[in-house]
Amino acid sequence: MNAITKLEFKKKIQDKGLWFWTFILPIVFIVGFISIFGGNTGADSEQLVVQIVPGYTVMFSFYIMISIVIAFIKDRDSGMTARIASTPLPTLQYFMGKWIPFILIVLIQIAVLFGFGVAVYDMPLGNAFALIMISVALAFVSTGCGMAMAVIAKTENMGIALTQVIALGGAMLGGLWMPVEFMPDIMQNIAQFLPHYWALQGYQTVILDGGNVLDVWASLLVLIAYGAVCIGIALSAYPRYLKLSKS
Amino acid sequence: MIDIRDVSKSYGSIKALQHADLHIEKGSCFGLVGPNGAGKSTLMKILVGILEEFGGTVEIGGKPVHQYRRDIKRQIGYVPQDICLEETLTARDNLLLFGQLYGLSGKGLNEQISEVLTLIGLEKREKSIVSTFSGGMKRRLNIGCALLHAPEIIILDEPTVGVDPQSRRAIFELIHELKAEGKTIVYSSHYMEEVEQLCDSIGFIDQGMVVEHGTMKEVFEKHRHSSIFIEGDQVTEEVLAPYGELMERENGYVITSIDPLATLQKVALALHSQALQPTRLELSQTKLEGIFFELTGTQLRDKG
Repeated sequence: MNAITKLEFKKKIQDKGLWFWTFILPIVFIVGFISIFGGNTGADSEQLVVQIVPGYTVMFSFYIMISIVIAFIKDRDSGMTARIASTPLPTLQYFMGKWIPFILIVLIQIAVLFGFGVAVYDMPLGNAFALIMISVALAFVSTGCGMAMAVIAKTENMGIALTQVIALGGAMLGGLWMPVEFMPDIMQNIAQFLPHYWALQGYQTVILDGGNVLDVWASLLVLIAYGAVCIGIALSAYPRYLKLSKS
Repeated sequence: MIDIRDVSKSYGSIKALQHADLHIEKGSCFGLVGPNGAGKSTLMKILVGILEEFGGTVEIGGKPVHQYRRDIKRQIGYVPQDICLEETLTARDNLLLFGQLYGLSGKGLNEQISEVLTLIGLEKREKSIVSTFSGGMKRRLNIGCALLHAPEIIILDEPTVGVDPQSRRAIFELIHELKAEGKTIVYSSHYMEEVEQLCDSIGFIDQGMVVEHGTMKEVFEKHRHSSIFIEGDQVTEEVLAPYGELMERENGYVITSIDPLATLQKVALALHSQALQPTRLELSQTKLEGIFFELTGTQLRDKG
């Protein structure tokens, strides 16, 4: 498993596209939107920062799905998946080996974007343990979703299109772009079915309300449940993915 | 060593393998041949453990693959048709990856990597990035990745596709070395002359069924129909039809016969009596390709 984890991590570090989606674009969005809304609306600056920095962090954490889809489809079409399946490495270890680097990347992404928020906008952080727990749960759900998509999607384009729907659709409906209170009632109800909403609620409870891990248990539960369902789908679809792999 | 009994595998309504039976002796080099889509790859995927669900039984070294999958995978080195290498890594790093996947580590793995690099002739390029390699070098490295764990059985799926003659020769030498070491080799190829040169036993698969198998000697003896090749502008099918089983080949015709000399004489007389002048009229020896066409036909298999 370690061999697969190290290999995947090494490949991801060399992937310039991943750097763009994971760090550069989110920072551009954060700076851009804080400048636009901060300058013209006269909104409370702390609330604005605590809406935009965690909001865009959550949204862009789901973009890891693109990298996961590309990595899996490339392996499937190059024959590497079948080749690895011919080694004694158990399926679950291969799966974990591919998955762990992406979880680490999302955690680094969250640390970098929150660090940027603290350094540039004096964003408060609140209870560190609760923040870490929400971040781990967010990484679990976003990468879990990516793993499911990666084994289900037939083509890279299909995977990327569905990622856009999940990342952007979830961001819009989950209140990442604007507080859910500003949205119509029906949209507020829909938001509660989305992991994006629960991740942001968790972060805001910790950062704005000074909540601890007990205050965000509902967020943690929903995120972990979503992640577990996604991983369950990915594992059950894996034999089909293996059948489609070139060898 | 390898016992395949009544093995069947379907993909939906497509029957990829139908009641296949084969036995491969320990230390032999077994050629697996058949047209595209015949079921060779499916059988290889079953042998190497990529396909886990199938009908029938496969035993390797007396152990059923269903029960001893991980143990058996350690005994097999699989060289897939596609080059499965990490292009951004060096040759040594690729070998390191596959060595680790087979549970090797430390000094033992490093020594094994150096040995394999020498065996595949890439010892001077061990630190080069694979994307800078020629097709032949990649093919050799692809084989090297399957040899690191010193497997008893080596399964090669068309290992010489798209390589230059020098690399092909190097691959042949490597296979000869493995044979000399007593390894059991399963070799799939579309190049009949390769199979004829390397293998001592053979299995023909067509439409999911094993249509012939045995030692190379047995198969040749069974299908030894000497044939006559006739070429010439004026020579037509109608003229030759009465003298034996006729097949169109290249620019002429092949007549297979159990008494080729007598047939040759009759054909020569018939052509002479009709004042027809062939440009070629010769006895030809049985070749593996001829047996392949005899068993699988000459019709294209990609016409649906």
